[in-house]
Amino acid sequence: MILTGRIPRLVHFNLFVDSVMVEFRNYSVVQSFCRRLVAALAAAGLVGCGQSDPPAFRLDMPKVVANGIAPQHQRAIANILGAMFGTPDNPFALPETGLDQRKLATAAGPVWSDAEGGKHGLYRRHCAHCHGISGDGLGPTAAILNPYPRDYRSGVFKFKSTYTAGQPTDDDLRRILHDGIPSTAMPSFALLPPDEIAALIEYVKYLSMRGQMETALVNYVFDEGFEPEVPLDPAADPELKDIIMNDLMAGVMEGWGAAGEQVILPEDSAIPPDDRTPEQIAESAAKGRELFYGATKGNCVKCHGPTGLGDGQQDDYDNWNKANVQFIDDTKSLVGEVQDLKQNLSNLAGEEREAAELELKQKSQELADRRKLIAHMLTPRNAIPRNLRDGSYRGGRRPLDIFWRVSAGIAGTPMPASGPASEGAQGTLTQEEIWQIVDYVHSLPFERVNQPQRRPVNVETVN
Amino acid sequence: MKHFWALVFLMVPVFGVLTFVVAPYFNHWFPKDISEHGRVIDQLFMFILWLTGIIFIATEGALFYFAWKYDARANPEPVKFSHGSHTLEVVWTILPAVTLLFIAIYQMNAWADAKMRKPNIPVTAEITGRQFNWDVRYPGHDGELHTPDDIVRVDGDIHFPSGEEVLLIIKSADVLHSFFLPNLRMKQDVVPGMEQYMWFKARETGRFDIVCAELCGWGHYKMKGRATFQPRREFNAWLDEKLTEQQTRTIAATAE
Repeated sequence: MILTGRIPRLVHFNLFVDSVMVEFRNYSVVQSFCRRLVAALAAAGLVGCGQSDPPAFRLDMPKVVANGIAPQHQRAIANILGAMFGTPDNPFALPETGLDQRKLATAAGPVWSDAEGGKHGLYRRHCAHCHGISGDGLGPTAAILNPYPRDYRSGVFKFKSTYTAGQPTDDDLRRILHDGIPSTAMPSFALLPPDEIAALIEYVKYLSMRGQMETALVNYVFDEGFEPEVPLDPAADPELKDIIMNDLMAGVMEGWGAAGEQVILPEDSAIPPDDRTPEQIAESAAKGRELFYGATKGNCVKCHGPTGLGDGQQDDYDNWNKANVQFIDDTKSLVGEVQDLKQNLSNLAGEEREAAELELKQKSQELADRRKLIAHMLTPRNAIPRNLRDGSYRGGRRPLDIFWRVSAGIAGTPMPASGPASEGAQGTLTQEEIWQIVDYVHSLPFERVNQPQRRPVNVETVN
Repeated sequence: MKHFWALVFLMVPVFGVLTFVVAPYFNHWFPKDISEHGRVIDQLFMFILWLTGIIFIATEGALFYFAWKYDARANPEPVKFSHGSHTLEVVWTILPAVTLLFIAIYQMNAWADAKMRKPNIPVTAEITGRQFNWDVRYPGHDGELHTPDDIVRVDGDIHFPSGEEVLLIIKSADVLHSFFLPNLRMKQDVVPGMEQYMWFKARETGRFDIVCAELCGWGHYKMKGRATFQPRREFNAWLDEKLTEQQTRTIAATAE
């Protein structure tokens, strides 16, 4: 459909250019030009300039292919998601999601402004060119950014106030939209009015829930081992509908509903007072430094490096890149399998050979599918630990932000949680110790460069 | 039509002049000037606009006159080429050269005021352009940048004191940008690896646009900020408020 709208126009334009080039040698250039221009404009008008198909949500194809989901099940999953969440132009929030339909409508759809100056299509106006229509972080500008824009579909957010596994609160998302993410391509949207920010927050949550639901469905189809012939139609199968709405949906919604209760609260007794003298701060930072280099506790040095420049380990990946690396590695081993099958084929005869040929055909098809996906995949990049002397803090520079970062780690990345994993659990560091690390991290950008560093405490643990 | 080409070329000065005449009525003219030095720059602009405008109209008028008079259809006689006039050549080379030289000398003082005579005052703020945001760092109470009491803001809401000279350091974190304050008639290209200075004195208070005026990538259009000019006392209070906010350690303090 998209192509049929464009081909006639292109063909016509080429004819038009060709004829103009020929006519140029004749004398009636102006007349001919005008005639052709009118014809071309009329053709463009008839075909229509804005008549391409409305944008649609895309399935996470690498995940679908990696789980061996059959094409008819892919369509079924897309249909189920469409019934639950609608389309990018007409998003729909089930009551279970707790999302505000009005906010979603403002954020979704094409970009336009109403007579009163109200802005519509906010997501496509501000976000979609990086984060993609489906919130998959695969917008047209994604590939030229470092770090890559976030893929919301896993429901994992890096900078938040909640425990590692928890979802972000609205305030967390609002803070990111207000301040942007320093030292990345995420700018501040502080100039947008609060109601537009609220609409965007709602839409990001919507895309995230939709993506999580997609993952749940893919995993369900994979785990249950549905045969390709078995239809996946909740309208005809009440039991399936019950599973989707109650088990899968509830699993996704649980985290979002409880986000507010998952906030890590700093204990009053552990919070350093505001009126500390520089000596007291330095003393606390010195203790934080011990933890930073501590082999058993803290051990920030492993990744952030003995200098704090982020020059520790360099070859780990965050979850998003790890999934792509895994996909590429699996494809490589599939190449080997296909080659082995081909070589063995000549040794086989009869039924064995037929079975092997069928397997070869299936695997070759999968390999072709995988190669097509890899061609459009973002090249995997390592998760490089933050340079702590740079003085830019992606998730915010307030001591509270750094406290949350150290305590909960950064979800989806190699940065581990040093605090408890949930309320009441035991973390590797106490809150007092985390605050000491916060003091040390805050002092790092201001250490004089020409001052020789003291010898790190456990330098031998780093290679 | 007999004088088709003459009339076509007459459209150039007609539409050219018309654009400038109607532009202010469509709000496509200079934004409000709130700076001390902006008057000089606007006067320079108007002077050069009138100078070039008059010459433009005269040249286009001459072009129209000759195109009309020597239209091929009205002049069946073949053209006779001459080898030109030496005197005329000299005159129309020297006249523009002298005019350009005059403009170059005439604007020198305004240029020096805006770009060379850096006032000897402490830096008010350091502005860093990055794709695609303006980040700002205020020196805090000790008056020195890059110390622990710096106030760093990344939300593009940049405050300045009005009614006094302000000195800024402009830096880039990645590529070329240009820090542009249209209401202060101030624009400074930002070159990675270089520290540029910018100084101005605002006469008024209020909120005005900050834009990036150098194509810096796909997100150039969204590299906007807001400059708030306020009296020194309010500015200091705002700095203190932001410093306190930056030291937040409790959740209660973040509740609004």
